[in-house]
Amino acid sequence: MVDASRHPKVDVRTYTEVERVEGFVGNFKAQLREKARFVFEDRCNGCGDCAEVCPIEVPNYFELNIAPRKAIDVAMSQSVPLVYNIDMDSCIECYQCVEACGELDAIDFSMEDKLVWEDIGSIVIATGFNHFDPSAMTEYGYGRFPNVITAMEMERLNNSAGPTGGNLIRPSDGKNPESIAIINCVGSRDKRFNPSCSNFCCMYAIKNAVLLKQAYPDMELSVYYIDIRTPSKGYEEFYDRARKLGIRFIQGRPGLITEDPETQNVFVHSEDRDLGRVTEREYDMVMLNQAAIPQPDADTISSVLNITQSPGGWFMEYHPKLRPLDTPTDGIFLAGACQGPKDIPSSVAQGAGAAARAGRVVHSEEWEIEPTVAVVWEDRCISAEGKKCGVCVRACPYGSILYEEGKAPEIVTAKCHGCGGCVAECPHNAITQLHFTDAQILAQIQTLLADKPEEKILAFRCHWCSYGGADLAGVSHFDYSANERGLRVMCSARMDADFIYEAFRLGAGAVLFSGCHPQDCHYITGQRVGAKRAKRMLKQFERVGMTSGRFRIEWISAAEGDKYARVVNEMQDVLDSIPEEELQEEIEKLQPYMEKRARRMREVPQIEEAASFAEKIALGHGTQDPAST
Amino acid sequence: MADQNSQHTSFADQVRAIPGGEHIEDCYACGTCVSTCMIQQKKEPRFNPRRLLRMVMMDMRQEAFESPTTWLCSACDLCYSACPQEIHISSVISAVKELAVEAGYESPLETVSVDEELCSGCGVCAMACPYEAPRLVEKGTNGDTKRISEVNANACMGCGICVGACPMGAISRPGVSNQDVRAQISLPEANGHPRMAVFVCDWALRVDADVALLESYPENVNIIHIPCTGRIDPEMALQALDSGFDGVLVCGCAVDECHFQRGSFVSSFKIRLLNQVLGEVDMELGRIRFIKIGTQDRGRIRSEVDDMLEHLSALKVAS
Repeated sequence: MVDASRHPKVDVRTYTEVERVEGFVGNFKAQLREKARFVFEDRCNGCGDCAEVCPIEVPNYFELNIAPRKAIDVAMSQSVPLVYNIDMDSCIECYQCVEACGELDAIDFSMEDKLVWEDIGSIVIATGFNHFDPSAMTEYGYGRFPNVITAMEMERLNNSAGPTGGNLIRPSDGKNPESIAIINCVGSRDKRFNPSCSNFCCMYAIKNAVLLKQAYPDMELSVYYIDIRTPSKGYEEFYDRARKLGIRFIQGRPGLITEDPETQNVFVHSEDRDLGRVTEREYDMVMLNQAAIPQPDADTISSVLNITQSPGGWFMEYHPKLRPLDTPTDGIFLAGACQGPKDIPSSVAQGAGAAARAGRVVHSEEWEIEPTVAVVWEDRCISAEGKKCGVCVRACPYGSILYEEGKAPEIVTAKCHGCGGCVAECPHNAITQLHFTDAQILAQIQTLLADKPEEKILAFRCHWCSYGGADLAGVSHFDYSANERGLRVMCSARMDADFIYEAFRLGAGAVLFSGCHPQDCHYITGQRVGAKRAKRMLKQFERVGMTSGRFRIEWISAAEGDKYARVVNEMQDVLDSIPEEELQEEIEKLQPYMEKRARRMREVPQIEEAASFAEKIALGHGTQDPAST
Repeated sequence: MADQNSQHTSFADQVRAIPGGEHIEDCYACGTCVSTCMIQQKKEPRFNPRRLLRMVMMDMRQEAFESPTTWLCSACDLCYSACPQEIHISSVISAVKELAVEAGYESPLETVSVDEELCSGCGVCAMACPYEAPRLVEKGTNGDTKRISEVNANACMGCGICVGACPMGAISRPGVSNQDVRAQISLPEANGHPRMAVFVCDWALRVDADVALLESYPENVNIIHIPCTGRIDPEMALQALDSGFDGVLVCGCAVDECHFQRGSFVSSFKIRLLNQVLGEVDMELGRIRFIKIGTQDRGRIRSEVDDMLEHLSALKVAS
């Protein structure tokens, strides 16, 4: 940290929050709130005379409120930069600090927060994680029994720079503990609080036990665990070493902690699974290894930066295997535990990787994106004619469409990821997607249904999930109906209602609308745009009397080849169950309806016309310059 | 005997099919349920809900049906509130029990019996029972039909709440009948005052240290063991006072932790009512007291007993 702060090319802004971020990859603009410290950074030399005279003591959050700090103080002696600040909530404005500061004149009570805009090329999020508060688990008595403490509190109590100078004492009476129980999985792997595993607690339980054992060889140390997870290089060996040091590992998650009201010793009640019976063991102190949870302001960060969160609240990577450091928004990267609980080696590795990814953006003259971007056909847009619309804006998961009433919307090409949601949603076919133009897809539909359409199952598959699912069904040799005809688009959001109408107009036997599961969507919310549309159509078809099962919606991941085969076979069963003449009759009966609905399809720009868009983009017309840093 | 209708469905599937028996596969065998449950520590060393779940998953039908876990769980649900996988373990056990009863197994517990002559068919027992064991039936006795209570022996957990509730004294169980409980009340001959009777339920004192602590009081403190405070009827407390005790302390589980679900609630209500009545005839002097000991209240019994003794000594001096 000190090195970073001294580097001529690194600008460290502490006590600063990101309020707003605009722009796109390579060209972000960020509004920063530099909070008032009430001390001038360039004048304060960190001598600490002000804190010495300050009469107000408040709990020190860095020491987990075990120790006090002054109203004017630094959180810890290694703070970077070593500049004091005033906690105005507790300051009584006696101005003794001003006097103590003397000629340096570094203190200014009239200081206010500053809002500044900065040009930013790329962004790395490394906001880390927070700790679960075990007082929610009443059975462990944290907050009620003084000698039940958290792992972080132990970390401070056993730290030579901590409030006790490294003298490990127990909170109730200040005596040195002779026995300590360490309890794992407090609030993690627990459906009541955080169902997932917190990844690193097994290792730091072992680490803390070993450190304590080395410092106090006579101390009795027990680790209560459900499973010990030592999956990385050298970890199992470390676990071996801990057992050899005489640390006891007890398999059994304690269900209760009680306290002797006189000695304030704590009793841990757990099943010892190796013994097959309940044990009640007495300790001087208990340390709870609490779960890692997302930072409390993760939601704010995710909305400021337009990035997604996984169900637990961690920031979501673009792809778990292929792009683990990227977010869905280009130019924003993830490092460390903000993306999910991870230990120090993994965090360092991810940090270095994210820095490299971010550097790539900053050092590029040009930025390559997928060519499947959306383009507006201005003379078809009704907004340009002065009518109210804006449907496309609502369909875009990336906020890449700039819309003003009375004008055709403008698509920021650099932000467009090519899901095609706006293209399919536009009621006037005024937007097209390069390489997936309406005309191209229409041509495919017509070709696939050219011969005996009533026998065919036309399957719309999204590129990322259900297409992969179909692929897997193939390579796994899962049998499915040979009447299936697949058609690939980038996202279920691109599966235009008109395509479905057209398929049925041409007499398709059945149509499958398939995409990712909602939480897996490659385009943040693209699947939801598609799902809403498909469900609406399902109702329409029911109303006009289509046999149920001829139009089907399924979410199939790339790992679900078996599901893809099963769904197609079930659809074949539906077709087989309808007598030939009846099906023909139904197709003919519905044809006028489909004809009417799919009318606009025949007015769309044809392939050659659409191709001219590509040239337009290449020449940089009608779009913003995607990258210049 | 056990495998009659199970050629095609596994034991686990059968359990899952019974409402409450779902989610067994969520168990990762952490042992929390075992550590919160007191049956293993106080009654039956073989009692182990985690292992019963395992037996279900591994298709060990007969062993599960014969396991004491299937029969002894009183559904206090201490384990449910602590289970990190949110498995409603007592429902799973009850599903296994249902299948066991279907297969012809019977509860090994000693259960209550109804004296048909004395029973008036009022139905108070059915209302009091947490397990829906008693129900009213028409039954012929001496050529006459009469509405009486009949107890389902496989549902009865032997808590004795119905025994304490029955206004006719028609229900009893060996060990908890009126005579049996009264036999435990013995006025100390030594002249040590104050003399106090302590009714203590079998489950409220979680740790052995607390049980030993209570036993260690001198003779003037008479300990009476009952399966559940719900067993108490107010008359007993009055009789104890009548026979020369200075005070009565009733010690039960915390209301939401009662081993028999609602025994503690029922008895705390009874004692409150009794004190109210005594108050109306100007006799309420705090001689009868109900205390609730929670699972985390290790050592509290000492301060409670000392406090009561002090209170009774003060009364003695005042009178």
